[in-house]
Amino acid sequence: MVTVTVMVMVMMMMMMMVMVMVMVTVMVMVTVMMMGNVIPGVTPGVTPDVILGVILGVMAVTGVTLGGGGRAPLPLWQRLAAVAVLGGAAAGAWLHLRARREQERRRRRARELRALALGQGDFELVDHTGRPRRKADFLGQWVLLYFGFTHCPDVCPDELEKLSRAVELLEGDAALPPLQPLFVTVDPERDDVAAVARYVRDFHPRLLGLTGSPEQVRAAGGAYRVYARAGPKDQDGDYIVDHTVVIYLLGPDGLFLDYYGRAKTPAQIADSVRRHMQTYEPLPD
Amino acid sequence: MSAPSMQERKACWGARDDFWSCLEAQGEDAARCQELRLAFEARCPQQWVKYFDKRRDFLKYKKKLESEGFHPPETAGKA
Repeated sequence: MVTVTVMVMVMMMMMMMVMVMVMVTVMVMVTVMMMGNVIPGVTPGVTPDVILGVILGVMAVTGVTLGGGGRAPLPLWQRLAAVAVLGGAAAGAWLHLRARREQERRRRRARELRALALGQGDFELVDHTGRPRRKADFLGQWVLLYFGFTHCPDVCPDELEKLSRAVELLEGDAALPPLQPLFVTVDPERDDVAAVARYVRDFHPRLLGLTGSPEQVRAAGGAYRVYARAGPKDQDGDYIVDHTVVIYLLGPDGLFLDYYGRAKTPAQIADSVRRHMQTYEPLPD
Repeated sequence: MSAPSMQERKACWGARDDFWSCLEAQGEDAARCQELRLAFEARCPQQWVKYFDKRRDFLKYKKKLESEGFHPPETAGKA
C-alpha cells in the first residue's frame, strides 16, 4: 500500500515539474521575443538555431533545478542558484538584443541621411572678415551649421546660443576633434559682411559667419534644402525672413550626417555629435 | 537700419515679457496694460512687435489645444 501511494506522489511531482519547466521556458521565450522584436532573419544574430538553443538550455537547467524523475529535490540553495543563473541569462539576452536594436536603428538612420545627400555641390561665400570661403575649405573639419538672419526676432539668437553651448560642451573633451560653428545668412540683401561680423560677435568666439551675393547664398541654402522667404516690408523697409530652423552636422568628408531641430537641447546635440565623432568611418573614395 | 544688438534684443524681450506677464495677470485685458504695451512697442522694431503678437496668439491657441483638445469646426467640408 505504502509503495503505491509513494509512486502516485512521485508521478504527480514529476507532472508538476514538467508543467513548471514548460511554463518557465515559454515565459523566457516570450520575454526575449518581446524585448528583442525577434523575427528570425530580420533581427541579426537571433536565428532559429539560437532560439532553439535557448529553449533547450532553459529546459535542461529547469529540469536539473527541480530534480526531475523522482530523485529528492535539490537543496534550496542550489535551486536558488539555478534560478539566478536562468534569470541572469534571460536578462543578458534582453540587454544584448536591446543594444543590437539600438545599433541597427542608428545604422538605418545614417543610411537614410546619406541617401538624402544634402549639401552636395560647392558654395562660394564670404566670411565675416571678408575672406572668400568655399565648401572645400571646410573639408577635414567637423561643422555645425545654422542658417538664419541678423534681423531675426528670437529664433536665431536662441538657436545660435544653443549651438554655441553645444560646441563649448564638446570643447571640454580633449579626445574629440575640434568642431567649427558656422552661420550662413538667408538675408543677403541686408546681411553684408559688416552686419554678419557684428552679429556673430555675440555668440561663440569661433563662430564663423558667411554671406555673399544673393545668387550664391540662395545656392548654398538650396543645397541644404533650406526654405527661406522674405515677408512683406513695413514702412521702415524692415521685414522678417521665414526660414527652416535646423542645425546641421557635417562630417570631415563634407557630407551631411545629422540634424537637430528646435526641441533639441545643447546637451543632446553635444551627445549626438560626440557619438558621430567616435563612430565616424570615412567614406571609401 | 542695422539689426538690433544683443543688448537691444534683450531689452526688447524684457519689455515683451513684462507686457505678457501683465496680460496673464489681467486676464488678457489689453486696456489694463497700456503702459507696458507702449514700452514694448518702443523697445522693439515694429516687425518684431507684429511677430510677437502673432506668436502670443499661437502660444495661447497651442495651450488651448493641449488642455481642451482639438474640436474641428462644424463647417469643415468633406475631405
